[in-house]
Formats: sequence, C-alpha cells, structure tokens
Amino acid sequence: MARRNDPTHYGLVSRVIHWAMAVLILAMLVLGTKLSHLQPGLANLWLYGLHKTGGFIALTLIVLRLIWHRISPPPGPLGGGWTRQVAIWAHRAIYGLIIAIPLSGWIASSATGLDVMFADTWVVPPIAPVSEAWEHWGFLAHRVLTRTLMAVLVLHVLGAARRAWQGDGTLRRMISG
Amino acid sequence: MFMRNFLALCLILTSAAAMAAPRNYVLQATASNVGFETDFGPDKITGQMPVTQADLSIDFQNIANSKVAVTLDVTGAEASFPFAAQAMKGPKVLDSREFPNITFLSTAVARDGDGATVTGNITIRGVTRPEVLHAVLYRQQGAVAGDLSHLSIRLTGTIARSDFGAIGWNDMVGDQVRLDILAQIQRVE
Repeated sequence: MARRNDPTHYGLVSRVIHWAMAVLILAMLVLGTKLSHLQPGLANLWLYGLHKTGGFIALTLIVLRLIWHRISPPPGPLGGGWTRQVAIWAHRAIYGLIIAIPLSGWIASSATGLDVMFADTWVVPPIAPVSEAWEHWGFLAHRVLTRTLMAVLVLHVLGAARRAWQGDGTLRRMISG
Repeated sequence: MFMRNFLALCLILTSAAAMAAPRNYVLQATASNVGFETDFGPDKITGQMPVTQADLSIDFQNIANSKVAVTLDVTGAEASFPFAAQAMKGPKVLDSREFPNITFLSTAVARDGDGATVTGNITIRGVTRPEVLHAVLYRQQGAVAGDLSHLSIRLTGTIARSDFGAIGWNDMVGDQVRLDILAQIQRVE
C-alpha cells in the first residue's frame, strides 16, 4: 500500500490525515456547539481545555497535510464542468477555514488574558494582546467561520455522495487508495 | 478554629475597662489573610489575598473612636483553581498590574452585638466606594485572659464587584463577592 500520492490515487498518508481530520472536525463541531450553549462550572471546565487541544491538533494536521502535499502532490479532482470547479473551491475553502478557525479561537483565547493550554499541561504562547476588542472580534470570527465551515462541509459530503452514487471512484480512492 | 480562642468583644471590653485612650495596633503579616468566595455557575470560587498592612486604633471604652486601615496585595492573590486566579488578577477584573492594592479605610465604627459594624471606604481598581464590614475581635491562641497585646480581627462583608468596574466574566462568575478578612495584630507599645 503506497504511502505517497500519485497522479490518480491517494496514498496512505493523505488518506489517514483526511479521515483523522474528518473525525476530529466533526467531534470539534459537536463539542464547540455544545460549549456555546453551556453554563461553565468546575465540572465542565475540562471540556473547554479539550476543545482548545482539539483545535491545536486540527491546526497541526492541516499544516502537516499542506506540507505533505508539497512533498507528494495529491491527484486532481475527477470529472469536469461546474462540479469540478465547485469541488476545487470547496476544497480551498475547507483548507482555509481549517487554518482560520483554530487561529481565531487561539487569538480570542489569548485576548482573554487566560493561559491557553494544550492537553491541560503545556501553556501555548498568546498570539494576540489582552484586549476585549480582540476577544470580541476573535470569538465572533470563530463563530462565523465555523458556520461557514459547516455549510461547506455539507457541500463537500453531498458532492462526495453524488460522485459515489455516479460511481466515478472519487470516494473509493479516498477510502482504499 | 475560632472557637478555641474566641473571646467576644464585650469580654475584651470588660477586661480593658481600665484603658482610657485608643490603642494602636499593627499587622502581624505572616498569619493574616483575606478569604473570599464567589459563585461560578453551580460551583464556588474561593481564594485568598495577602494582607500587606493593617493599622488599627482601638478604643476599648468607646468603640466609635476606633479606626481601621487595611491594605491588601492583589498581586499575591490565589484562587481555588489556576484560571480563576489569573482571571481575577487580569485586566478584566482586578487589573493587578495597574492596581496592585485594595485598601479599606474606616469612616465610622459602631458597636454591634459581640462585634462592631465598620463603615469605610474600599478602593478597588482605583474606584472608592463606601461599604460596611462586620468586625469581631478575638484574643489570639495561647494568650491569657485580659492580655490585649496580641489580637485577631475578623472582618466579614459582601461587595458587588461591578460597583468597582470589575465586571470581567460576569456572564459566568457571580457579581457578589463574600469577604472574610482575618488579620493578626499586635499592640504598639
């Protein structure tokens, strides 16, 4: 089983990163939505830490994925026409959002003045000044970008399902190479 | 802890009847502390803040002649979990970098049962407001009856942090802060 991508197939590394991110992002969307409706207390404080840790893992994975694409370029999308263009732009949007969403969370959390922790153990350096304006706009951006990601992911999944229905091999090559 | 060395103010007053003038006391800093408590969702945040200075003038015959001045060190504050201490000392609550001290200066003292009602000005975040604390004097542990050279003063009260502009995290942390100040003091001879 090839680790590297080739012009028509996804290698093992790209597939593992893709599905790991799919599971992580789905879990983060559920957790983040839950947190936005939660009354914080001692019993659930760890969930906020978990969300931040998940965000850093997502950011790390997308950076690794982009590096890996430089080392081993992925195959281009199958098919043509408008769906090809939609697929290309949906992918670009997903990549951009998966970078922007953790960054906006990191910025907003830094702006609160509280330590941002990874795995409840390591303090991650702040990337924004302690400021209510940065906090406000950072969390607002985090929410808006997340809603956008949800919409684009629906498009992504529907597109993949449509191609699987048509049997063009798009979904299969992301599952079994 | 207080029960063992508890001595009601009236008892101190009785035994001190011979003292005619106000006596001055200063802080024994090592054993002095401010405890506080506030609500955090269904839970409580508790913590302590060191007392850096306490100057008291106590008139055992006429308690209204007494004066209390206390200074607290905000930078040394601790809380029951690390985020709470950081949030409390940060710019959205006490802003310890800008305002490292909290001060209390009494303006009126009145007898109230076994203790006294101390009205005074509290300054937090540079905002000064009148507040009322309840004070009780205790003889320190190990001191013999009638020995007023070393006393403990316990000041309790409640403040609303929003009155002082300390409004950070008010959607999740309570506005009401319950204070329990214990200062060990010794008489200036």
